[in-house]
Amino acid sequence: MELTRRDAVTALTAAGITTTAGCAGLTGETGSDAEPMEVLVSLADVLYPSDIEPTPEFIETFMYGRITDEESYREELTAGIETLNQLAADEQGGAFHTLSADQRRSVIENTDLRTGPSEPDGSDVARVNYYLLDELLFAFYSSPTGGELIGNTNPRGFPGGFGYSPSLEQ
Amino acid sequence: MTTNQSATADRTPVDSPDVCVVGAGPAGALLSHSLANRGHDVVILEAGPRFDKESRVDRMKRQIHPDRGVDEIWDMGGERDEYTNSSERPMPLNKRRVKGVGGTSLHWASVVPRFRERDFEMQNRHGVGKDWPISYADLQPYYAEAEQEIGVAGPDEAPHQPPREQGYPMDPLPTSYADKLFTKAADALGYDVQPMPMAINTGAYDRDECQGYGTCEHVCPSGGKYSADIHVEKAEAEGAKVLTEVPVQRFEHGPDGEEITAAVYATPDGETRRQEADVFVAAAGAYETPRLLLLSASDQYPNGLANSSGTVGKYVMDHGGALVIGFLPDQETHSAEYGPVISSGIQQFYDDDEDPIGGINMMLLNQAESPLAQMAMESNALGDDLLAELKRQYGGTIGASTSAEMLPREDNTITLDESKTDNHGNPVLDIDITPGQYVRDASAKAADVTTELVEEMGGRIAFEQGSHTPNADYIEPEQYGYHPMGGTRMGEDPSESVVDPTLKTHDLDNLYISGGGVFVTGGAANPTLTIMALSLKAADHIHEELQS
Ligand SMILES: Cc1cc2nc3c(=O)[nH]c(=O)nc-3n(C[C@H](O)[C@H](O)[C@H](O)COP(=O)(O)OP(=O)(O)OC[C@H]3O[C@@H](n4cnc5c(N)ncnc54)[C@H](O)[C@@H]3O)c2cc1C
Repeated sequence: MELTRRDAVTALTAAGITTTAGCAGLTGETGSDAEPMEVLVSLADVLYPSDIEPTPEFIETFMYGRITDEESYREELTAGIETLNQLAADEQGGAFHTLSADQRRSVIENTDLRTGPSEPDGSDVARVNYYLLDELLFAFYSSPTGGELIGNTNPRGFPGGFGYSPSLEQ
Repeated sequence: MTTNQSATADRTPVDSPDVCVVGAGPAGALLSHSLANRGHDVVILEAGPRFDKESRVDRMKRQIHPDRGVDEIWDMGGERDEYTNSSERPMPLNKRRVKGVGGTSLHWASVVPRFRERDFEMQNRHGVGKDWPISYADLQPYYAEAEQEIGVAGPDEAPHQPPREQGYPMDPLPTSYADKLFTKAADALGYDVQPMPMAINTGAYDRDECQGYGTCEHVCPSGGKYSADIHVEKAEAEGAKVLTEVPVQRFEHGPDGEEITAAVYATPDGETRRQEADVFVAAAGAYETPRLLLLSASDQYPNGLANSSGTVGKYVMDHGGALVIGFLPDQETHSAEYGPVISSGIQQFYDDDEDPIGGINMMLLNQAESPLAQMAMESNALGDDLLAELKRQYGGTIGASTSAEMLPREDNTITLDESKTDNHGNPVLDIDITPGQYVRDASAKAADVTTELVEEMGGRIAFEQGSHTPNADYIEPEQYGYHPMGGTRMGEDPSESVVDPTLKTHDLDNLYISGGGVFVTGGAANPTLTIMALSLKAADHIHEELQS
């Protein structure tokens, strides 16, 4: 399943949230010659279920549409990608987005990514957890697409309207 | 992160206003608007900032993030918000109150039942507590006005409600899936499930309608949930002036000790300013208002202002809780899909003839488990493994939360802790509150009823607070501090109370108190609609006084 902007845009616009915020940061170059979006997609690819193909559109809409302070987020993003690439280089000898899915997974599994603390003002890795991994997980599992996989099309954190109430199962 | 527009805000005192209101929560906001709307010059002094609306999505994400505390959502904590808890139980005040334009209503759940007739006369009816100097009938028109002002969706016809003079401004919220499960079980057991009055816009009001974020408590990004910043802005549109990040340090009185002359406030750049006015209203919430009066001690009033009765900071109350969460194996409960956290309740044990006497207000939850995204972040798994884990963990939960009546007791107190100071060098408040048997019995009854309902649904209890049965490992101590009341109670007798029935202090001719602090008993209904009704009533008295 390819993720699109579609499920996101309507609801976010309805909620009065600017969906373009932060997009400017995505064209900047990083140390590894990849655009930040490529790195995010390669990260989302191992975080999200294998049936899901994360697209830049989805990530852009769901993640950046929800970032209220673009400037500081861009800084965290750039710094986070640097940390991620450092870990990837140490573990697997290459920039994160250039690695295979298995290699990317093992970078996460062999470091404090995911298992370590996730803090907005913590260590480099704690900030990657907070600003990159957790943002991507929030984006997916508070979207109808992520929610649907466990049977909830309006998960908490998503403005999918109110009052959904199917009939009682007998 | 930039979260407010305070850097450039003007903080000079307003030139001779009619009314100076301290605190921009529901109590201060409705009163200020009511007075500004009638042409009075009002200035509001608020300790916290004016939060950017745009920041609400980010705050909502903090709420969902597993490693961020509730106190972080609205930037609470630090030296500014220091306090001491001398109670035996945790009282995490900075996870409860919010400081800023809108006050604690920024993170309330917006459940707005009225108090019952009995709540005003518990001594007369049941020989407990103390009767209010006003009755339900006195407050009834103000309840109606408050409901119209904030926009309440509620049932016009429902059992176990106090008398109504007119319908609610909006139809009740739709029945949720959880409501249906509860209703079916309640029908079998002979209990009544009924819609809960909620201050959530379903479309009729001129703010965004509910968008179903499902995070009402503690952040509503859409603004469909009422919060008091709405009436602060309305008051401003009528000419009121709001100064933010100006914590009032103390009130000053004139040489004869009969009138307040100024509210002395601090500004972020370290200055101290004086706001004069004809009338002053302390609406700083039930935690901070007693402290402010105690901090205003003078040679003439060494025990604090408005405290000739010695009751400032006494008879402090809260509600008992009884959060019970059940798990229904192999059943879908559609947790959180519905949006608003609560839409129905069980009210029949509020005012029945059976023991326990203490009022019981049961709120049925539309989401009894952590948000999906929170579970995802909390896990260490990746990809398909993560999804499999979430499928195993998520869903099948059902629950109810209760507020239960606590009696006023002289020894439940807010005092000053002279050994600890805030960022301005003022002694912090010290709360010392112990729930008695009365409230624990009411909580336990609610926990039992919820348990019965969950078992009727075919479920088992996963988590329980407030029960009397202390031997199961899922039983947790109750959570406290959500509904502070008392501490500056109302009464006719100046030797036993702080304010009179108009909310004016007995001791000072131009000082009013608005908020849960004036409650004589605590009822079981969530307190804020009553706080609002009392504020609108006080505004009428102040208006009359300013006219004459
Ligand atoms: C999580 C949670 C959920 C809740 N849900 C509900 C609910 O569903 N229904 C309900 O009825 N109630 C609910 N409540 C309670 C409700 O929030 C309070 O009853 C209500 O906000 C009280 O209004 P207030 O204006 O008296 O005080 P507050 O809302 O606390 O406002 C007081 C204001 O005064 C300011 N202030 C304090 N000291 C000073 C000073 N020295 N100088 C200047 N300003 C000062 C504060 O910064 C604050 O903005 C809930 C509370 C919590 C914590």
